[in-house]
Amino acid sequence: MTGAQEPEAAHPVTGLDEVVHQRVRLGILTVTREARRVEFGYLRTQLELTAGNLSKHLSVLEEAGLIEVEKGYEGRRGRTWLTLTAAGTVALTEEITRLKQLIARVETTEP
Amino acid sequence: MTTNSIPTDGDPRRLLSEMRALSHRVRVDQRMTWVALLVLGAATLAAIPVDWFGMDVTCGPDGGCQFARDGMLYYWIPAMPLTYAAIAYFYLRAARARGLGGRVLPYAITGAVTTVVFPAAWLAVTTYFESHPIPDQPLPYWWFVLDRLVMPWGMIGVTLLVLAWLERNVALLAFTVGYLGLVLLVLPMNYGFSSGIFSIRAAMAVPQLIVGVVLLLAALGFRRVADRRG
Repeated sequence: MTGAQEPEAAHPVTGLDEVVHQRVRLGILTVTREARRVEFGYLRTQLELTAGNLSKHLSVLEEAGLIEVEKGYEGRRGRTWLTLTAAGTVALTEEITRLKQLIARVETTEP
Repeated sequence: MTTNSIPTDGDPRRLLSEMRALSHRVRVDQRMTWVALLVLGAATLAAIPVDWFGMDVTCGPDGGCQFARDGMLYYWIPAMPLTYAAIAYFYLRAARARGLGGRVLPYAITGAVTTVVFPAAWLAVTTYFESHPIPDQPLPYWWFVLDRLVMPWGMIGVTLLVLAWLERNVALLAFTVGYLGLVLLVLPMNYGFSSGIFSIRAAMAVPQLIVGVVLLLAALGFRRVADRRG
């Protein structure tokens, strides 16, 4: 016994970033990290979202500086490409770590 | 609110499982395994005539022959980077058409490294035997295995391993293990084909033909699987 009490580690839930933790946005970040670069249409199909709904989530992520949106044309067809920023990569990695911590915590406290 | 409770759809196990499923789907959509195998198989088959006609064979009156496969050296040094560049190009093009980016940098690096290993090993062996006598005794078995590993078709196996890792492709990994087993251990290790009706040139061509056909058949198989997936 040292007499000193170690500070209790913060519960992983308190560290969750609401911008990232939201299920659809987490999906967007996951796909974008895996693909390096992803097109709007691919995301919409994979996440089964309407264009409007996806756009709203993308705006949140872009405002938070987690993704970059690049609009361009291929022939006459407009295409929107998304890439993960360095901050986005960090945020996603931290989110995954916290989710794993949360699972571990639940498993250790379960009877 | 994350500080109070996690909503049902935010169950961490479920979220992580969904993330893994999404990542897997992206990897599958980025795959162009059959194209890589097709290009590698075609490059291997195209090397056969170059090796055949570019081989310098000198036979003595005692029946013993010496040969130098200069054609293969001159063919594969430019062919390897061109082959890997072609595969990387097709991967990126197909991924882009599907609305995805590509993950070809580790593959390109491996291609570049294996391209250097083959001529470097060739140069090392040539330099060694310039100042050392060629042994009278048959070369040990491990020598042949090492020799085949640094040959272009051995390097193809190494590159396919990297591709299997990049694509997280278990089927390609299984194929590559079998392929490396075939290339390194199964194909004839001596010049048995050269006696009788087969010449030394044929003896060198047959293993390449087998390797090329195996790669093309694998390309066909992976293409069919990809088509079935849609």
